[in-house]
Amino acid sequence: MLLDYDRMGWLKIALLGFTALVAGFLLLPVVFIVLLSFGSSRWLAFPPPGWTLKWYHELFADPAWLDAALTSARIATMTAILSVVIGLLASFALVRGQFAGREILRGLLLTPMVLPVVVFAIAIYAFFLRLGLGGTTIGFVIAHTVLALPFAIIPIATALEGFDKSIEDAAIVCGASPLEARLRITLPSIRIGIFSAAIFSFLASWDEVVVAIFMASPSLQTLPVKIWGSLRSDLSPVIAAASSLLVGLTLALMVVTALLQRKVKT
Amino acid sequence: MPAGLNGLLPALVLIVLFFVVPVLALLLRSVTEPEPGLQNYAALLGDGTYARVFFNTFLVASVVTIVTVLVAFPVAWMLAIMPSALASIVFGVIILSMWTNLLTRTYAWMVLLQRTGVINRTLMAAGIIDQPLPLINNLTGVTIGMVYIMLPFMILPLVGTLRAIDPMTLRAAALCGASPFQAFRRILLPLSLPGVAAGGLMVFVMSLGYFVTPALLGGTSNMMLAEMIAQMIQSLLNWGLGSAAAFILLVVTMALYALQLRLVGARRISGGA
Repeated sequence: MLLDYDRMGWLKIALLGFTALVAGFLLLPVVFIVLLSFGSSRWLAFPPPGWTLKWYHELFADPAWLDAALTSARIATMTAILSVVIGLLASFALVRGQFAGREILRGLLLTPMVLPVVVFAIAIYAFFLRLGLGGTTIGFVIAHTVLALPFAIIPIATALEGFDKSIEDAAIVCGASPLEARLRITLPSIRIGIFSAAIFSFLASWDEVVVAIFMASPSLQTLPVKIWGSLRSDLSPVIAAASSLLVGLTLALMVVTALLQRKVKT
Repeated sequence: MPAGLNGLLPALVLIVLFFVVPVLALLLRSVTEPEPGLQNYAALLGDGTYARVFFNTFLVASVVTIVTVLVAFPVAWMLAIMPSALASIVFGVIILSMWTNLLTRTYAWMVLLQRTGVINRTLMAAGIIDQPLPLINNLTGVTIGMVYIMLPFMILPLVGTLRAIDPMTLRAAALCGASPFQAFRRILLPLSLPGVAAGGLMVFVMSLGYFVTPALLGGTSNMMLAEMIAQMIQSLLNWGLGSAAAFILLVVTMALYALQLRLVGARRISGGA
């Protein structure tokens, strides 16, 4: 009875124990970093000798950190908007279009997700050096949109595949224009897909390190580049404070996602 | 919003202009710099130092894949049949770990694994070891860090595979007198193998080209391919050699990706990722 939860006996206990261990392993670094950010030891002693907020003070006192965070937010927001719009248009064509080579085109658009980022990073770095787009916001947004597009297409296309097109057709029969039917019937129905696409695209840019390391210039640094630079020089607790804020952001995103999904179900 | 092919136009322009063209230009560079010919590839494939990097990369990717599969399978198994309230807690932990900034997680492991880190101190305080274990700047550190990052990518699709198995098949096996071990080996394992293979291949491909974690948790003596490529371009400015190494990585990755598509079909990947 290996797939019968109530009749597995000792095996269930063993597997549950193992699952708990793995969950603990997955949680460990996240919890650890948050605790560490409040610890008073500069040398990251743990458990800390005392508790303090001074790393957060140091973090906010350094304009470079805030600057990097704002740069990241700006680039990630533009990337999310661009990749959702482009992804939405592409998804309609991929899901509903009837043309030869559709699967190949779908594969091509999803390739940036599978190609090792380092290969794309040096390719786009070289390309942008020639075009003069290296180290510019627009260059960042273009490169990140290439990487984020698969993460926009996948949830939108999946949502669209699950949407019954006859509802849209019914609206047209009832006198709506095709565009109106799409904007007022179809888009609201697949809004969870669109919302996931926006979150995933945002995160794809916000967390992106490799392209950013190559593209960054002294005057334009994203948050991951700033963290990367600090990590290479020392393991200062200020990084723990910055990291904890990022964990907080992740939690906030998870809560929003869960709430939205619940709202759709009811 | 146009329904036909023109909807694809913006996406195609973006991908062709800023993905296909730059990658092809890179390929061109690998056979033209410093002079036309295949000398960059000959240098990479003929030299012992580079051979070690290739070997290291495949070794780490293999070990990470095997460990990830072994750890992920029991967890996915439980998640597939657990009461949903309990399962959603575990899913929450997995999503939290997966969505947390990559550098944040790697930083945490750097601190945890260092010589004077929590893990070494705990083990020494418990009297299990009397010298700190070398857990960082070597393959141990890379493996721990990479398994940590890959686990969600293995667990989540595997839950789907295991949920799709009809529990009746196992009940039938039990009725016919199969022991739990026999039922596992001859029913559950073969039926979940496609999911294990697809997930394992994905983890392997992702590990091959991984840059951040090996660069931060690994040592200088056992560099991996992605880090070597970055170094060739960034520090040595050797574009010919770097592009050639990047292209080798690209070919291997794409070949394995094609294999994975044959295993599970393009739709399953794009729909389930």
